[in-house]
Amino acid sequence: MARVVVDPITRIEGHLRIEAVIDNGVITEAYSSGTMVRGFEKILKGRDPRDAWAFTERACGVCTTVHALASVRTVEDALGITVPTNAELIRNLMFCAQYVQDHVIHFYHLHALDWVDVVSALSADPKETSRVARSISSWPKTSPAYFASIQQRVKTFVESGQLGIFANGYWGHPAYKLPAEVNLLAVTHYLEALEWQKELVKVHAIFGGKNPHPNYLVGGVPCSINLDEVNAINTERLNHVGKLIKDAIDIVEQVYIPDLMAVAGFYKDWASWGGGLTNYLSYGDLPTNGYGQVDSFKFPRGAILGRNLNEVHEVNARDSEEIKEYISHSYYEYSAGDGTGLHPWDGETELNYTGPTPPYDQLNVEGKYSWCKTPRWKEHPMEVGPLARLLVAYGRGNTEVKDVIGEALGRLNVPVTALFSTLGRTAARGLETRLVVHWMQEFYASLIANIKAGDTKTFNDYHWSPSTWPDTAEGVGLTEAPRGALAHWIRIKDKKIDNYQLVVPSTWNASPKDGNGLRSAYEESLIGTPVANSDQPVEILRTIHSFDPCLACAVH
Amino acid sequence: MATTQAVHYRRVYVWQLPVRLYHWLNALCVAVLIVTGYLIGNPLAISYSSEAYQQYWFGTVRFAHFVTAFIFFFNFLVRTYWGFVGNEHSRWTNFIPLRKKQFDEIGNVLKVDILQAKAGDISSTGHNALAGFTYFLTCLAFAFQSCTGFALYSSMSESFLPRMFAWVVPLMGGDFAVRQWHHIAMWFFIVFTIVHVYLVFYHDYVEGRGTTSSMVGGWKFEREDEHK
Amino acid sequence: MSETKLSVWQAMQAKGYSRREFLRFCSFAAAAAGIHASGVTSVVHALEKKPRPPVVWLHFQECTCCSESFIRSSHPIVSDVIFDYLSLDYTETLQAAAGAQAEQCMHDTMKNYPGEYILLVEGSVPTNDGGIHCTIAGRTAEDILQEAAKDAAAVIAWGSCASNGCIQAANPNPTGATPIHEIISKPVIKVPGCPPIGDVMTAVVTHILVYGRMPELDGQGRPKEFYGRRVHDTCYRRPYYDAGLFVEAWDDEKARKGYCLYKMGCRGPVTYNACSVTRWNEGTSYPIQSGHGCIGCSENGFWDNGPFYQHLASFPGFGIETTADTVGTVVGLAATAGVAAHAISTNIRKKHLIDQQIEEANGDEKNAEGGKA
Ligand code: HEM
Ligand code: HEM
Ligand code: NFV
Ligand code: SF4
Ligand code: SF4
Ligand code: F3S
Ligand SMILES: [Mg+2]
Repeated sequence: MARVVVDPITRIEGHLRIEAVIDNGVITEAYSSGTMVRGFEKILKGRDPRDAWAFTERACGVCTTVHALASVRTVEDALGITVPTNAELIRNLMFCAQYVQDHVIHFYHLHALDWVDVVSALSADPKETSRVARSISSWPKTSPAYFASIQQRVKTFVESGQLGIFANGYWGHPAYKLPAEVNLLAVTHYLEALEWQKELVKVHAIFGGKNPHPNYLVGGVPCSINLDEVNAINTERLNHVGKLIKDAIDIVEQVYIPDLMAVAGFYKDWASWGGGLTNYLSYGDLPTNGYGQVDSFKFPRGAILGRNLNEVHEVNARDSEEIKEYISHSYYEYSAGDGTGLHPWDGETELNYTGPTPPYDQLNVEGKYSWCKTPRWKEHPMEVGPLARLLVAYGRGNTEVKDVIGEALGRLNVPVTALFSTLGRTAARGLETRLVVHWMQEFYASLIANIKAGDTKTFNDYHWSPSTWPDTAEGVGLTEAPRGALAHWIRIKDKKIDNYQLVVPSTWNASPKDGNGLRSAYEESLIGTPVANSDQPVEILRTIHSFDPCLACAVH
Repeated sequence: MATTQAVHYRRVYVWQLPVRLYHWLNALCVAVLIVTGYLIGNPLAISYSSEAYQQYWFGTVRFAHFVTAFIFFFNFLVRTYWGFVGNEHSRWTNFIPLRKKQFDEIGNVLKVDILQAKAGDISSTGHNALAGFTYFLTCLAFAFQSCTGFALYSSMSESFLPRMFAWVVPLMGGDFAVRQWHHIAMWFFIVFTIVHVYLVFYHDYVEGRGTTSSMVGGWKFEREDEHK
Repeated sequence: MSETKLSVWQAMQAKGYSRREFLRFCSFAAAAAGIHASGVTSVVHALEKKPRPPVVWLHFQECTCCSESFIRSSHPIVSDVIFDYLSLDYTETLQAAAGAQAEQCMHDTMKNYPGEYILLVEGSVPTNDGGIHCTIAGRTAEDILQEAAKDAAAVIAWGSCASNGCIQAANPNPTGATPIHEIISKPVIKVPGCPPIGDVMTAVVTHILVYGRMPELDGQGRPKEFYGRRVHDTCYRRPYYDAGLFVEAWDDEKARKGYCLYKMGCRGPVTYNACSVTRWNEGTSYPIQSGHGCIGCSENGFWDNGPFYQHLASFPGFGIETTADTVGTVVGLAATAGVAAHAISTNIRKKHLIDQQIEEANGDEKNAEGGKA
């Protein structure tokens, strides 16, 4: 029995440490630890609720905007504010831009090097790469000369002896199975995607002034629409958005999805590992008829237990019996005792480190071992994220989702159960990107149509002024961040934040065990995974990366 | 009036011309700075045109604030100088209570101001010790307001005077803090002016020595049976 | 594998640039640096010979948006920076290696390039309770930073976290988050912003590489090149400020015309950053252009200057809407009321006194008269 420690887990956001027990080449126990905390929930106390979006947005710069969205919804919920149609559509466009950019970056820059051997690309035949590329996609940049030039660039780079970000990778590990030509294709698209990812986020710059961390506003969006003014959202700005969406569709359809399918085809064995939990949770999002109208959401709300796709449970974030956070293994203390679970409206955040004194080699896994709290839905550990979203939609009978999943499973020739795996999770992310980028086009068309119909309102001033607020109020704001179900809870008292709690997708997935010893998603997904060489635990990276971890989010 | 107490007063020349000039120029500057400063902090919602080039009222308000600020600053410098070379009443020693006599007088003035109307032992000819001390605090406030004001101004000026105050910005933690404190200090001046003007009249009323007019003509009255 | 390190010239050569184009690039670089024509050869020489400078990028208490912003750079494009200009040997966000292999990368660079590598730091360093609020590979952020800074040729603080503590240092700063210049004893180039503009980040790095020297810094350690002016000084809405044309409410007529956002709490007048000139995301926009005021994200302690929708911060210890003006008005009114009450009671007492004195005086007069008579 060996204890493998991977710290830092790289190519993620934030500070994650995994300790795994390997017995006869298979993982039998795992511990997931968030090793950095900032104390957002303490810092938010006493502040203006209308400022909270800016604070919470800084929980994470990778999924930037999603906390801002959750936050403005939370405050709007507490104060009974509904936002104008245009604001809803603009928020949706920003949401979609975030998804597509974040997922593409995850696939190429965070996840790909688990599957793609950069060094092997040097021995590829560019002509063959060109042939493969043309056989899977109509993307124009596929000439042999183009691939040869990329290969040359990689070669010069490698020969410089300064391997930079590629230094010390597990190159040559037997777990890498792609032919050299596909590796070259992937490396090429690594570079192209790196160049492209900065484009789509211009949607955030147009509506919110910048990316990362665009601006939001309680009651609507800060930008005004005025077709007679250069100094507002006008035809040029909207055209720019339109162009960015069109290019995004091309990238997703002609680069991301074909690459995903091509790579997945070589790693079908990964459809049998990494499934982990059997429970899935999605709050749903992308309203098409107002945030209050849950059945109008593109991504439906619901929970699945025991992988039973025939039954989707209702989820109520206000119910104090449904969502609770535990700290049995987290470095916090609760006033009513560390064994209790608290609904976020009553949530507490008292930091209380009890781990080993640094520098340390091993966590005290019997006691507390993470800065991440442990959320539970009706006491169940839940997986959240792209897979959960698609499964809930599938379970709800959403035909759009069913079609996209069906087509992909058909192309890979695998059963629907293949989704419950590391590969399934990675595929789900790509598939939802495909859905989202087309929905983005729909929202864009709706925005244009709405403006054409003469509606240019982007802000509702009802309850903007604190002098109109009640003495106390409480609200919850739900969204689906790229990594899964995200919600913020607020209590407002005397016009200030009395309590503010974030329960974040990576909190669900990355958390330590609960008081009953039940593992959360990361830990559970590692159990049973074979590890060929415990000095080069690429298998751990593959499964953990399939969740797209974000620890700054998870802990905050 | 029928009062003809057998008390004899002597006319004393206390406020030399530079002090009087300083005082009224300063009062004028402070008034303008308060009004323009308040407007800078809380601009009115006036717009008689939608084109920026057709109006410049806010720029003008700011300009007035800055011009006045320079006059205010140099006027203050002149008075500081006069504190070393002027007559005995205008000297700095009157402003900083270091001697026992001054402390005693502060106590007396407080009694007069609080118990009201018993002008017993205020014997100073120039400022009474308490007044002198509050003027000293006011001078510190002038210095503070000049430092913060010129520090703010330094980011929009290449000239050497404002640049001399640029160090204040990092010291206070940034322009926001400087501005916030500059703004808060305005309220000190508003409150000072209210209380100051009142007390001048009040002491004139209870002492009957021509306090108010002294800042105009320079002369005050001193009881002859007292020395100084 | 050959051990030769690629110079800028070699890198350009590899990308198919001709010698002629390289020389032209050098003279541009020299001209931009204000180097006289005769100095161009030295620039050519520098770029020809230098290997890609090794870089260690540390991540502490952060949200990683500085990294995200960095990869949004458009000129130079980030792939050129990380593959041709620099050797990014350690960065948890992008590097292939993980765990012990990743740590190995950092130690190799520190060992092989003492005094030569550039240290880039994203995030603040927690100092409460022995630094246990941020550990990597079992070591505290402070420990790692001290070690990495020791032999670094230059240290750059990315973003407001490393430069001034940013959000986690906001009141009550639960973890003792501290900017790096307070931890290490080396000079630090601060590139504040939450995050800084990507093109500004790559520009600061290229400034060092191309001109072979540090950019000129202001009193607070920020490159003057990008932090020498307030957002307000070059804001395109500035004419409206001077004209006194302000947005009075969100999405009102004036907002739709793009008037100045000062009254909506814009911090542009007190914020030093390049936003209004360089702009964000390849010049697409900046906060003010999208209709929201600047929140001052590159300034020390900006989080504690809220609420963001008021021109002044709320007064400590009072409600969020209470500003210095509210407090001032109350104090001013209280002073006026006090003065009025004082005046009235003075008058009553004084009247009494005067009557007394007149009586006394009259009595004296009578006595005097009587005496005369
Ligand atoms: C009694 C003296 C003064 C008072 C009461 C006063 C008051 C004010 C007030 C209330 C503001 C607005 C602050 C805000 O809310 O943002 C202001 C702004 C300002 N003041 Fe003063 N001030 C005084 C003296 C000075 C001096 C001596 C200077 C030196 C140059 C100065 C320079 C400034 C500057 C530069 C601004 C910022 C204006 C802008 O950026 O538009 N002030 N002042
Ligand atoms: C109607 C308005 C005012 C009147 C009648 C007035 C009157 C006077 C008088 C009589 C004195 C001499 C007091 C004494 O004997 O101790 C004095 C001193 C002084 N006053 Fe005023 N004052 C007025 C407004 C102001 C204002 C607006 C300011 C500035 C904030 C101001 C600042 C001072 C200062 C600093 C002194 C000390 C003078 C020196 O010795 O340098 N006064 N004032
Ligand atoms: N977990 C997480 Fe996030 C996301 N997606 C936020 O809610 O990454 Ni930074
Ligand atoms: S400075 Fe701001 S953007 Fe950068 S890491 Fe810190 S919180 Fe994120
Ligand atoms: S919008 Fe802000 S930065 Fe621009 S002019 Fe107005 S106050 Fe200045
Ligand atoms: S909020 Fe930050 S991004 Fe620029 S405009 Fe203000 S400094
Ligand atoms: Mg939380």
